[in-house]
Amino acid sequence: MYALKSVAGALGAGLIGFYLGIGGLGAVRALAGYDAWDTEMSITFGYVFGVIGWVMGAGMWGAWGREWFGLRTYDRKAPGWQRYFVFNTDHKVIGIQYLVTFIVVFLLGGLMAMLMRAELTHSGHQLFSNAQYNSIMGLHGIMMIAVAVAALVGGIGNYAVPLLIGAEDMAFPRLNALTYWLIPPVALTLLCTPLLGGIETGWTAYPPLSVLTNNAQILFDVAIITFGLTSILGGLNFVVTIIFMRAPGMTWGKLPIFVWAMFATAWIALLYTQGFAVSLLMVLLDRVAGMSWFDAANGGDPLLDQHVFWFYSHPAVYVMVLPGFGIALEMISHFSRKPLFAYRYAVGALLGILGLSGVVWAHHMFTSGMPNYLHGPFLVATELISIPTGLIFLCALGTIWMGRLWLTTPMLFALAVIFNFACGGVTGIFLADVPTDIHLQDSYFVVAHFHYTIMGGEIFALFGAIYYYFPKMTGRQYNERLGKIHFWWMFIGFNVTFFIMHWPGIQGMNRRIADFMSDLNTANLIVSLAGFFLGASFLVFVFNMVWSWIFGPAAERNPWRARTLDWQTDSPPPLENFPVPPVVRGHPYDYGVPGSVHALFPGRGAEEPPRPPSTFPGAAPAPAGGGGGGGGGG
Amino acid sequence: MTDAFRNALRIGGLVAVVLAFVTVVEYVFAVNVDSDQVRFVGLALAAIAKSWLIVYFFMHVYRVWRAEAH
Amino acid sequence: MALAGTAAHAPEHVVHDKAKMKLVGLWLFFFSESVLFGLLLSARFYLERINREEVDQLLGLGITCVLLLSSVTAFTAETAIEHDRRKLAGWMLVVTILLGTGFACGVGFEWGTAHFSKEQAFGSIFFTMTGIHAAHVISGIGLLVLTWFQLARGRFSGKDHWPVSGTVMYWHFVDVVWVFFYPALYLVK
Ligand SMILES: [Cu+2]
Repeated sequence: MYALKSVAGALGAGLIGFYLGIGGLGAVRALAGYDAWDTEMSITFGYVFGVIGWVMGAGMWGAWGREWFGLRTYDRKAPGWQRYFVFNTDHKVIGIQYLVTFIVVFLLGGLMAMLMRAELTHSGHQLFSNAQYNSIMGLHGIMMIAVAVAALVGGIGNYAVPLLIGAEDMAFPRLNALTYWLIPPVALTLLCTPLLGGIETGWTAYPPLSVLTNNAQILFDVAIITFGLTSILGGLNFVVTIIFMRAPGMTWGKLPIFVWAMFATAWIALLYTQGFAVSLLMVLLDRVAGMSWFDAANGGDPLLDQHVFWFYSHPAVYVMVLPGFGIALEMISHFSRKPLFAYRYAVGALLGILGLSGVVWAHHMFTSGMPNYLHGPFLVATELISIPTGLIFLCALGTIWMGRLWLTTPMLFALAVIFNFACGGVTGIFLADVPTDIHLQDSYFVVAHFHYTIMGGEIFALFGAIYYYFPKMTGRQYNERLGKIHFWWMFIGFNVTFFIMHWPGIQGMNRRIADFMSDLNTANLIVSLAGFFLGASFLVFVFNMVWSWIFGPAAERNPWRARTLDWQTDSPPPLENFPVPPVVRGHPYDYGVPGSVHALFPGRGAEEPPRPPSTFPGAAPAPAGGGGGGGGGG
Repeated sequence: MTDAFRNALRIGGLVAVVLAFVTVVEYVFAVNVDSDQVRFVGLALAAIAKSWLIVYFFMHVYRVWRAEAH
Repeated sequence: MALAGTAAHAPEHVVHDKAKMKLVGLWLFFFSESVLFGLLLSARFYLERINREEVDQLLGLGITCVLLLSSVTAFTAETAIEHDRRKLAGWMLVVTILLGTGFACGVGFEWGTAHFSKEQAFGSIFFTMTGIHAAHVISGIGLLVLTWFQLARGRFSGKDHWPVSGTVMYWHFVDVVWVFFYPALYLVK
């Protein structure tokens, strides 16, 4: 049982490391004449050594660590389902590991949201104390941020990018496995925070509260610093992969748009994630070492934290939505049976967002008391970002325009991304403009806005991508009818919940507080009920995924008749992805262009060029729904 | 000792001498200059120059865009 | 579709330039780390402008020279192994390790004799910046020791010496960081 060996080894070595860290620190402290146990310092040291023990025990020692000592390395070649529980370096396995892990985290975070909405059905206290509500809200926030940062990038990105560029794996497969295996301890540590009193600061962890609050903050700090590390290493891996691992002929001008989006995303993750880590490190040092980064009485400044934190956390928004845009454009082109409209402008827009993302962070700080002369520049820079974002919209609309839309579940999700993000973009204008932002800051208007952008933009894209790649990943077809039910249920639930949520926000209802003014009772009750409705839609999704993975009909190689390389290999692909390495010839999106071929497989023959568009709709094995017809989400 | 090896070492030694010289000049400059702005700009320029020397000659940054890694 | 035959002479196996990928990956890692150090440097000027407390100037200049010298010996070690001179490379790695340890001890001494407290803003800045840098120095020493150990067992040659190059590059990077931290902490006022 390789799986058992690996997981038990990880847990065992993790625990040993944890106690060694605590014991070692205790011994040093005792020798130096202090108490052997210092809660936060001991936890920090135990955590660091525990995480090292965990990844080594999971198989990194055998696959990698031995090499540092000049020893022979070995892999655990686990068969079947067990390969998901070992230190596996195959990008397809890692992608699925990421996806399943983060769907679980997503459902847990969703449960937290349900609890919050239950508390907010009525003014006054219903179920929870203020501290409990804060804890639930903080956990919901950070878990969903983690899902948004890592599920699409780590899951779909890992799975699809090497396939889309015709590579056999990522550039650094062992590094890739490491980035995944760092995630479980992060998730466990976050779930342990309620044991120490719960996170009171929300996911932003602003000082001075984060310096003064209970011990749970230390778990939050170390967990998120680790999470940042995986994000950085993952970004590094994607950049090198996309530069060096492309198949012959896959020039930058022929790169599928999702790969371009991942390229921009990876640079942002690589260059900005340090900001979150540094801000949390300063909080940690203030707490554990008694420093004064944020203690104004001793020369520190709490605003420093906001600058450093938002230096990452605004660009983080693009780590979330750029891959969402990318996969949405990808699906829109395939399911409109048309070349991607203005491909070059879409690429330029993605790179433009990458360039601008680092100079807008202080739009989160208009009411923080930072110098007034900073308001103008950050307002203008923020508004400037709407230009490349608008370009991406135009590319999507131009592709849909006059297309023969094949409204499968993934396509519906892709269209919903465009609709939802447009709503989120419009409300964003009021938050980027200083005069309106001063009124709306920290209200439920902000909550509605960022749920429209992140959930409406990225999480919808994530679910679309899961449906899109489900046949490739599992070799089975999901149930199309259930998929469409899930889509409409989620789409309606989402829009009712968050559209109405703007209203209490405009009326001045504060976010992050368990109570509100009683004249907003009706609005909040409706939002809560719609929220429960939205939450229930994911039961359909989970049932569909689990059922279809086990009992679904076998999927063919290319159920979507798509031209990109990922669909030209078996479902699921063999270990080396392409038994015959592809040679790229034409553009990936030239639907309906006579004689155009995206890729050739020398020796395998040209069996794969897509059939003429007139044959496509009925060819899908599952109940594919009608082609043509009106725009779903638009 | 081959010529290529000797040349490589000679370049390294030369860069080391320059670095040491700049470091000492930097120190003497910093303790003797009165204007805050001049001192700041001077130190920044010295740091950029030194880091460029290390990045180019010691870390061989040009190997990144040279066709072959070695 | 008629194009199928034209690609017949395409390579069966695509060979990736693994050495170049490792090199670029390492540089990207340095790039990312520079942001970490850059943020700390910015925080230093944000909180305290150019003000500083009294520090031991002679010690500062001394450890700076020691670290610089260790970069030179590390460079010599890499150049030596590139030209198949394993013995010289080994000795140079040992000298580098000793100089690096000397630097770390110097920082430790500075910590022990500092006139300011970590509970004041400048103290927070000074201890955090030197501490994070020293953590990189110590991890660099660890890497150098592992590399030396393998070199002593006869592993590397002129054609196969990536671990030596990578470790030495990391060591130079740590030196580059100090090139900026030293004036910012010791000289700027
Ligand atoms: Cu922002």
